[in-house]
Amino acid sequence: MTQEKLLSVKNLSLEIARRSATVVNDVSFDVAPGEIFGIVGESGSGKSLATRALVSLLPPVIRQTAGEIIFKGRDVTAMSEKDLRSMRGAEIGLVFQEPMTSLNPSMTIGRQLEEGLALHSRATQDERRTKILAMLHRVGIRDPEGALTAYPHEFSGGMRQRIMLASVMLLKPALLIADEPTTALDAVVQRDVMELMVELTQAEGTAVVLISHDLPMVARYTSRIVVMEKGRIVEAGSTEDILERPQHPYTRRLLSSLPIRGAARTIETASAPVVSARNIVVDYPGRKSLLKKGAPKRALHGVSIDIHAGEVVALVGGSGSGKTTLGRTIAGLVRESGGEILFEGRRRDIDWQDYRLNCQMVFQDPYSSLDPRMTILSLVEEALRLVPGIDRAAKRKRAYETLEEVGLGADYALRYPHELSGGQRQRVAIARAIARRPRFLIADEPVSALDVTVRAQVLTLFSDLQKRYGFSCLFISHDLGVVEQVADRVVVMQDGRIIEEGDRDTIFDTPKQAYTRRLLSAIPALDLNETGGVRLKWRLET
Amino acid sequence: MKFFSLNGLIGGVLIAALLIVAATSLFWTPFDPMKLSFTARLAAPGAQHLLGTDEFGRDVLSRLMIGAQASVWIGGLTVGLAVIAGTLIGLISGYARGVIDGVIMAINNALLAFPGILLALGLLAVFGANQYGIIFALGIAYTPSMARVVRGAVLSLREREFIEASRVMGNGEIYTMLRHILPNCLAPITVLATSMFGWAILSESALSFLGLGVPPPAPTWGNMLAAGRPFLEQAVWLGLFPGLCIALTLLGINLLGDALRDRLDPRMRGLK
Repeated sequence: MTQEKLLSVKNLSLEIARRSATVVNDVSFDVAPGEIFGIVGESGSGKSLATRALVSLLPPVIRQTAGEIIFKGRDVTAMSEKDLRSMRGAEIGLVFQEPMTSLNPSMTIGRQLEEGLALHSRATQDERRTKILAMLHRVGIRDPEGALTAYPHEFSGGMRQRIMLASVMLLKPALLIADEPTTALDAVVQRDVMELMVELTQAEGTAVVLISHDLPMVARYTSRIVVMEKGRIVEAGSTEDILERPQHPYTRRLLSSLPIRGAARTIETASAPVVSARNIVVDYPGRKSLLKKGAPKRALHGVSIDIHAGEVVALVGGSGSGKTTLGRTIAGLVRESGGEILFEGRRRDIDWQDYRLNCQMVFQDPYSSLDPRMTILSLVEEALRLVPGIDRAAKRKRAYETLEEVGLGADYALRYPHELSGGQRQRVAIARAIARRPRFLIADEPVSALDVTVRAQVLTLFSDLQKRYGFSCLFISHDLGVVEQVADRVVVMQDGRIIEEGDRDTIFDTPKQAYTRRLLSAIPALDLNETGGVRLKWRLET
Repeated sequence: MKFFSLNGLIGGVLIAALLIVAATSLFWTPFDPMKLSFTARLAAPGAQHLLGTDEFGRDVLSRLMIGAQASVWIGGLTVGLAVIAGTLIGLISGYARGVIDGVIMAINNALLAFPGILLALGLLAVFGANQYGIIFALGIAYTPSMARVVRGAVLSLREREFIEASRVMGNGEIYTMLRHILPNCLAPITVLATSMFGWAILSESALSFLGLGVPPPAPTWGNMLAAGRPFLEQAVWLGLFPGLCIALTLLGINLLGDALRDRLDPRMRGLK
């Protein structure tokens, strides 16, 4: 980089004020005008704090102990609060992860977009309106006029993130800080928003600092990245070098944690399927108003799916595709309005008790799926409560064994969920589900809340257990990378219907439906090389 | 890890003192609290009568000790009644939702809209002005707010995934309610119950002050306060000491309640 620097961070260190624990340690990097620069790291790596320091928006408990941040030749750390305010928004824009909370729910979109313009420009009201409409149109909002008077809750997560992007780009800042801008969105929307962000910023000459745990996504759009671990930069360089020739062990570990296609297995499909859902229809009741009941909303339009013994079937699709509803219906948490579900060839309502014993579920959010008032041991033991034929002592023994199997030793048994990390909690959730030795398991986004390296460990654990006990599994996920690693067969859903299904290699290599191709274009195929690096290959949409 | 915070400790000491005094008074008081003595009317606090005597020459300290009994009884039983009834109603209402919830909450809200002390006054007229009348009246008056709080907690809890996990395991509704929902409601219940204990003592005092509580000559802090009112200018201790007892007890209860909530929630353990 020989050209002038837009932003230069030198030896930045941050610590938690009261405990003097260093959370960001001697971090330095430069960003050139118009460049897209990536910061990659897992939770706790300090990446978000480091970037919040760029605009002096650190939480009060965090204190800067060293370093300087030079933006356009001025030291941000020495600026007055007044100067900072006129710089934020106008010169440095911010996009955060959570589109649900980053827009004010009680203000119309029009007023929120106008706020920044009114503050930082001299445009008249009419000029502002024209600008806002043009920008909303550019970010792909279908009815910009209507959007002005609409409230944030009327838009989906992806649309909200577009609006957020519009509000930031209206001011044409010189630098955009995007902190996990698409993590909360599903794969297809994620890619659309990213493409839009890149297109807009390139057109305006805005530099971007893109912060994410998602290494392939960052690699796709950046030319240079830094990798952070525990508050330090462990590796910095061109994206290609870091991917293909990683030097630091942590970078190698990150790369080797990326999901990669497992070996194809042959599944015996001649015998009757373990679970068979036939023509499932699910209607959600319409919104009730004072006088009349709204029309019911159909979430599933007659969906059929078979899962054979020992088979892992992945159910993929964007949000709103009905994949979670189908999983929950099969789990018995949602009542079907039509169709039937067979377990080992018999209607499941003939013997619910038996079905319950044999069909278990792992939930997405390990923070809310474990009762916070129960110890790990009692959580697993509870799963055995209704299992007939084994006594108390045997149940306790089985609970300990199962914990051991998921990699949690006896010293975890008496802890509470809040004392465990997200990955450990998900291990408990898996232990609870398999303790009964079910024939069939439903896993609803079981790893999407986890960090990359933890996700790899949990997936490996899951595959090992699946091989050992041979349970069938319905694996629900929007992350096709994960699906590619674990699934035998893939079922693609869109708008409450199954649009394509087939064995994994067929779907991934020769997808037929356009929607499937769009899903696949959001994730790279990985080629491992002998130096521990990878080459990413992006699939084409058409 | 500290077992209790400093505040919790202060609260604990105050409440322990209340309980010890109440228990002691069952066996021993410095004087007979009912014994009239016309020679020692309105005696100021001193060596003989530590906290002075009232207009009939009865020993204030002894009467306060007996009054502590009444407070503990009335406070404890009132809260017990409100907690049991309120939790039950709240659990059923929050868990069943739909029509049952609608009906229960309509009645509940109607009761809530009615001032608690007025409701208690009305109920006292039915039950009769005595110790048990007060307990029933206040217990019923406090039940709606407890039901409301428990229902709110249940509504938010039942959307959590661990409740669904319990259903997937095949656990029955009642088991799920008792094993997963109720224990997670304990924190708000404890906090509300401790403040209710305070309210109950205060309301008992207020009702007795109005002459609708425990009838004289049996002493309670409230009717002592009421009886002392005409003499405040000559004998300030008649109002001061019962008032102080009420204030300290409320303080102790509130401090203890906060500390208890922190202890009861496993998520709070180990944080400090």
